[in-house]
Order: sequence, then structure tokens, then C-alpha cells
Amino acid sequence: MKTIELLINGATHEVSIEADETLLQVLRNRLDLTGTKKGCDSGGCGCCSVQVDGKVVYSCMMYAAGAAGKAITTIEGLGSGGTALDPLQQAFIEAGAVQCGYCTCGMIMNASELLATTKNPSEDQIRHAIAGNLCRCTGYTKIVDAIKLAATRTAG
Amino acid sequence: MSLIGKSPERPDAFDKVTGGKAFPVNVKVPGMLHAKLLRSPYPHARILSIDTSAAEKLAGVKAVLVPSEVPKRKFTPVYFVPANAGSMVQDMLIMSDTVRFAGQPVAAVAATSLRIAEQAIELIEVEYEELPTVFDPEEAMQPGAPQLHDHATNNVAVNPVMGFGDLDKGFAEADHIFEGVYSSHRVHTCYMEPRVCIVDCDRQGNFTVHSSTQHLFGLREKLAFALEIPESKVRVIKSPYIGGGFGGKLDMGYIEPIAALLSRKTGRPVRIEQTRHEDFITTARHPIKVYLKTGVKKDGTFTARHAKSILDTGAHATHGAEVINVHGVFGLLMTYRCPNSKWEGYTVYTNNMIGGGYRGYGSPQACFAAESQIDEICEQLQLDPIEFRRKNAWHAGEPHPMVQGLTLDSYAFDECLQSGAERFGWSKRKKADSGKGTKKRGMGFACQPLWVSGCIGFPDIYEHSGAIIKLNPDGTADLATATMDIGSGQITTLCQIAAAEIGLPMEAVHMVQNSDTTTVPVDAPTHASRATYSSGNAVQAAARTVRERLLMVAGIMLDISPDQLSVVDGKILVKGAPKRSLSVAEVVTRAESPFVQHGANGPAPTTLEEKGTIIGVSSLAPKANPSPVSVEFVEVEVDTETGVVQVLRVVYAHDLGKLIHRNGAEGQVEGGFQQGMGYALMENLQFDPVSGSCLAADFLDYKMPTAVEMPRDIQSIFIESNEPSGPFGAKSLSEPCITVPAPAIANAIYNAIGVRIRELPITPEKILAALGKL
Repeated sequence: MKTIELLINGATHEVSIEADETLLQVLRNRLDLTGTKKGCDSGGCGCCSVQVDGKVVYSCMMYAAGAAGKAITTIEGLGSGGTALDPLQQAFIEAGAVQCGYCTCGMIMNASELLATTKNPSEDQIRHAIAGNLCRCTGYTKIVDAIKLAATRTAG
Repeated sequence: MSLIGKSPERPDAFDKVTGGKAFPVNVKVPGMLHAKLLRSPYPHARILSIDTSAAEKLAGVKAVLVPSEVPKRKFTPVYFVPANAGSMVQDMLIMSDTVRFAGQPVAAVAATSLRIAEQAIELIEVEYEELPTVFDPEEAMQPGAPQLHDHATNNVAVNPVMGFGDLDKGFAEADHIFEGVYSSHRVHTCYMEPRVCIVDCDRQGNFTVHSSTQHLFGLREKLAFALEIPESKVRVIKSPYIGGGFGGKLDMGYIEPIAALLSRKTGRPVRIEQTRHEDFITTARHPIKVYLKTGVKKDGTFTARHAKSILDTGAHATHGAEVINVHGVFGLLMTYRCPNSKWEGYTVYTNNMIGGGYRGYGSPQACFAAESQIDEICEQLQLDPIEFRRKNAWHAGEPHPMVQGLTLDSYAFDECLQSGAERFGWSKRKKADSGKGTKKRGMGFACQPLWVSGCIGFPDIYEHSGAIIKLNPDGTADLATATMDIGSGQITTLCQIAAAEIGLPMEAVHMVQNSDTTTVPVDAPTHASRATYSSGNAVQAAARTVRERLLMVAGIMLDISPDQLSVVDGKILVKGAPKRSLSVAEVVTRAESPFVQHGANGPAPTTLEEKGTIIGVSSLAPKANPSPVSVEFVEVEVDTETGVVQVLRVVYAHDLGKLIHRNGAEGQVEGGFQQGMGYALMENLQFDPVSGSCLAADFLDYKMPTAVEMPRDIQSIFIESNEPSGPFGAKSLSEPCITVPAPAIANAIYNAIGVRIRELPITPEKILAALGKL
């Protein structure tokens, strides 16, 4: 076991971990940040997407120790608390982009990076951006709609 | 009624976009142990010995379980039938000393951490005697093939044969006879949340269970049966959310009874979560090979149809015993009218993984065969494929072709064909292979001409639902049901039905979280496209009771007959006297008051008649099994250099009786298309032909459509035929959405390049081979 400091959603967490624990395991099992989901544990589904220094990573593919000293953002860090949501979260609700909801948090974390780097992304850009996030319920149509809606609102 | 057909915000959406807490994978119980299963590397073997001594010595290991310790009562794990149902096959044990597929659990360890459990199973020594294997169901049916189960001669688990009329006469009357073999492969439902459970056994042998399941009461019954204990000793907690199911969580897995036995041994809660690889070998759609022979008159009228279907059920029968019947009856025998028909089904054991439930339940395999062949007939006889289907279809008002005593009260197949064809622009379809250049476009369609809104008419299948609705003094309602929302939207549609029936705003109805099998009425599973129809009926009945009681109390308060009152948007309105209205909150507060109510006008006594919680309870089976129908049109582009098929656009028309939630219904269609397109073009759960082990460890091996492959344009047309037995006229939606894409795409590919592919998936390799380029 070793102790590391993780900066998550603006707060510093001191956690004791095994050297080979992934960021996903630490978020879920040691810090109870359960918004980040495990879908495959092998970098193939995107359910565990978080942002590290503003870039989307699959948290199942990153050692927690490697994230020390970096700014980690999870779904719990989006929006400004209470009922105030990030425009993407609001758009996912309004567009009906949520069905079972298991992929939703990873999908939003990924789209959040896209909107931070690309104003008014095209449909192709949106679809390619979320191509690493699998959803089995929606067929992606309403997820793409939601990201377009949020993009329109944040660009304006 | 104004709520019905709109798209009010899903009650669960806010939580799901901010973290989605209420999934079973998030449940933690104090003192919980973690268990891991040791799985056989061999597809067919006898266990000679198991040495667990080294594993037991590892620090942190609390219990080890081996096959000799499990109860010896055989069961079927399928949720929606009684455990001893005669139509099913009771051929499973929790663990067996005979291994019949690669990956079958042979031992389990519970430890204080997953890491220790993983280390411990590596220390277990199992001595196997390998047995001869068979992976092809038709080889398994041959005399001399390895026998998997003593009770199944030639490995045939069940062999239903059904038919009517005179087949020989029908074929003799035919002007043309068509024959084809259509085969399909194994695909996974790909629910995103893994199968997971926590089972906690107390010192009196009572089990409390959390599980990712599509059926609360089915798990209670199956677990009690397998453990040989009374059902009341098992309490299953309802998870508010399930991260997808699609039929893949429609049976008890190995994990629940193994966790239960480990919990009984240790006295501590035991959690098992499957890896993605374990999920891949837990459930799949069965491969079915269909031999289809059809006789038609010159004008396209069916005179005779004969089908033989070989279903690979893998190591155990489980769902395969029922899938074969749904496949035969709703996929082949009853879809269109044909006076002389016969169908033979064979559910065959092999050393492959066990098949499971998957949305469509045998129908996608049949629809691919039947709708492909109809297009072949039309092409050869130069008949209009829409007119052909219309000519052979059922009509509203006719007797239900399968369920005696029922009629097709609502049935809008013609309207689906017509409105779909118009919106799609079907009249612009060109002759097959008429495109120029290397990329060729084609149009195709396929139909699901008869489906279900539940299971009335199936003798062994549960089909009743229940609900409890209770009003609160603030004017809100709590709705409790055992209906699982597996992403299919029942939290939303059931709240909507309750709100519309009582007369409340949508946001005033809350789905109760964490009901359990001790507190809510029995409900059949979320499967068979039934939940909005059947559970919706139960919710509407409970809501009706609530409204009546509400109006009775309001009538006393206003000194007016309840028949002069109505409830609209949370207000009790008096006919002809709008100013006298009360809020629902005022009425409920009155009903919940002590003997003296203190209000603005001082203390006022309440009467006994007014007193008591305003509550409605229902438990009932629907009266009918109405038939939704659907038609799907697609346009594809085939790259004749690479063999890659791209679906460009989709128009889907479906008679659902009455639309409840538009956005949710569209989501069913769009998600169904993703699964159907994956089935048609790319998904394939592959196995090593020698070792029988599954080659898919994760989604890098198993390809399902991403947002990039999906068509940009999917349009849904909802036909409202108003089903009299359904809630607000609704029947069902889910499964036809996934049944029709594969044959529609296959027919469109034929139209693009003039090549007919009868084996799914239609990969680039198969297209290039058919074009003579490989």
C-alpha cells in the first residue's frame, strides 16, 4: 500500500492504494464516486470516462498513481452543485438522451471535452468524438441531439 | 389524457446525468465479502477431484465452494415460468461435476477482497477427465455424437412440431415452390452494466438479495427452488435502475445461488460481479438454422409453408426450450395466413455456451428467413413485395391466429405498410443492381406482421402485474411496483399512466425506490414487450381506485356527489362551479387528519368516512394479448470494392395502439435499430473451434455499432389503432424494433448489388465472396 494525493473535482483526497490500482477502482471503491461506471474494464466501452487535465481518459486504463498531481474531473464535478446542472447534463435530460443511464456519465464527460475544445461541432465531429463510448439503449440519436443542443447553448 | 403521447421529463433523468446512484453495481453492504468463480477451461469434462487446501490457507479467504456441496435439485433458471414448468427442461445444477461448456463454474471462493479471491481460485487444483465434444447442433443430432445429457436422445432437448391443413395438398396446389436455408449466429445483448449480485444470509437462513435482474419475483422463486427453501425465506430488493438487459438478465445466473451458498457458509454478505468476458459467456441469442420451403400461387398467395428450425441451445436447455416455440409460432407459422403449414423445431444441446433471452426471443432469426424468402419470391415472380405481404396478411377483427378466444381488435398492418412506404419514398426504388460505380445504393424493407404485448395464451408463462399507489398530504403520489425499468422507460411510462388516470401533474408521481418482494404485488418480468401494456394496465387500475377514493372524500368535504367532480392537474373540479375547487393536497390532508382538523376557519371535526390513507392496490392479468405490427424501410450503400455496407436512412412504422411517451418510444426504435443493425452486419460472438472457448474478452473483440456507424436519419411513425384492452389504448413496442432490421438490410443489400446473402452476419467478406471478388 502507498499513499497518494488525488485532486478530484477541485478537492484534494489522500488515499492509500495498491500500486496497481486503476483510477477507476480508486474512484469507485475507495472514494465512493460511483458516477464513474465500469462497463468492461479494458478500455472498450467508455462508461468510465473522466477528464484528467481536461482530456478524456478511460479511468480503467490509467493507474491511479499516474493521476497524482493532475486535475481529475468526474461527473460529480460537473455543474455547480445542487440542482444547477452543466448545459450538457441539462441537454441530456431535455433531449431524452438517457435510457438505462449506465453509459450516460461517461458519455457526458466525453462530450464535455469536445465542447470545451470545439465551438459548434458538426454532427460528424460529435459522432466521432463519442465513438469510444458505447450505448446499447438509444442508438445514439438522442445523445447526438443532446450534444448539439448543449453546443448551441454554450456557443451562444 | 393530455399527458399521454407527450414527452414529459423522465423522473430518473436528473439522477442519471449527475451520477446515477441507484444501480445494483453501486450497492455496498457492511461486512461484504467478494467472491470469484473458477471456470473450466474444457468444454466437456468430468471432474475427478478438486483440491482446495492451498486456497483455503490463503489469508483473507473465508469460504470455498465446490460442486459436491450444492443442492441436488435440478432447475430451469428462466424467470418467467414456474421452476417445474412442463414445457421447460430442468437440467441445471448450481454447480455440477460434469462440465458441458468452456467457462462453466467448477468452484468458488469468498474472500475479504476481490484481489484475494482472484488469487485463491488460482490455487485450486482441479483434475479433469476430458470428454469428446460437439459444437455443431446438426452433428450433435447424429447417432454416435457425444451425448451431453442422459435425458436427451441425440442431444435434442425439445422438439415441438406444429401445423395445420394438408401440407402435401398445399404444395400440390402451388404454382411455384421456393426453398432456402437461412442461418444466424450468436450475439450478445451487451447490457452495459455487468451482471452483479449481493446475497446476505442471516443466521435463521433468510436471504436478502440485490441483483441486476429483469424480474424481481422470478429471482425469488428460482433462488428458493435451487436452494430447496421456501420462497418466503428469500427477499429480493428492487434496484431502481438496471443498466440494460434486453433479455440478457432474464434468468438466474450462476452467481446468485453461489453467492447465497457462500453467504450461508460465512454468515456474511457475498458480492459477485462478472467481468465482461464472463458476461459474454453468460447469455446470448441462439443461433438458429432455418430450412424454409414455401409454395405460392402465381399471384403470390401462400398455399403451403414448411419450416424446420435447428436451435443451438448450448450446454443447457434453459431459454432454448421456449425461444424455439416463440420463433416457430410468432416468427414462422402465424405471421401470415397460409392454410397448410407445418413447423418442426429442434432445440439441440452442444458444448457451446448456454443461450439466453434476447429481445425478439427467436423472432429475429425467423424474420430474417421469412422476410428474405418473401423478397426472393417477389423478385423471381415479378410481384410487388408490399402487395404480396398485404395479400397474405391478417386483418383487424379476425380471430387471433394463435390465442383461441381472442380477436385482433387492433391491427393496423396496412397503415404501417402504406405510411412507411410513403414517408420513405419506396416508389423510387430501382431494379436490383441497377446502380453505376463502385458504391451502389439499395432499398429494402421487412415486416413483423404479428407480435405480442405479453404472454396471455402461453400456458406456462406468468402474466400478471400489480401496483400500489398512495397519495401524500402534499398532493403527490407514491407508485410502487415490481416492474423493473431496465432502460426501457417504465419509471416514466408508469408514472405517466398513474398521473393521467388520477389527474395529477407528471412531476407529482414518484416511483418508489427499493421496493422488495415482501412489499409489492407480483409482476411478471420486463420482457416480451409487455411492461408498458401489462404493468400499465395494473397501474391504471390502482390509479382508478385512488381517484374514486379521492373523489369520495372530496364529495364529503364539498357536500356534493362525487359524480359531479373530476380531477385535473392536481385540482378537484366541481361541474359548473369552478370556484368551489379543492386541491388534491387539501383532500389528502383531510383524509390523513386526526379527529379534529385545525384549518384557517378554526378546528373542525372529521368523519370516520373521510379517514384513511387514499390508496389503490391492484393485481391482475390483462384480458388480451394484442398484436403490435411493424414495418421497416432502409436504404443502404454497398461499397463493392471493400464489401462494407453503410445504412443511410431508416423509416420505421409501428402500430402500438396508443403512444404513451413519444421520446421514449423513439428511443426504443432507435436503440432497437442499433442492435438489429449490429446483428445484421457486424456483431458475432466467436469461439475457438477446437477448445470451444469464447474469443471475445471485451468490446475490442466484440464489435457493436458506435455513433459513427449508425445512420444519421432514423424516423419513427407510430400508428395508433387504439387497443381496447390496453392502458389508454396502448399495446406494445419493444421487440419488433429489433426483429426487422436484419431482413430489411439484407433485402436492401440485394436491391443494391443483386446478391442474396442467407447467412448472418452479412460481413464485407461475405459480400465480396458473393460478388466473386474473394
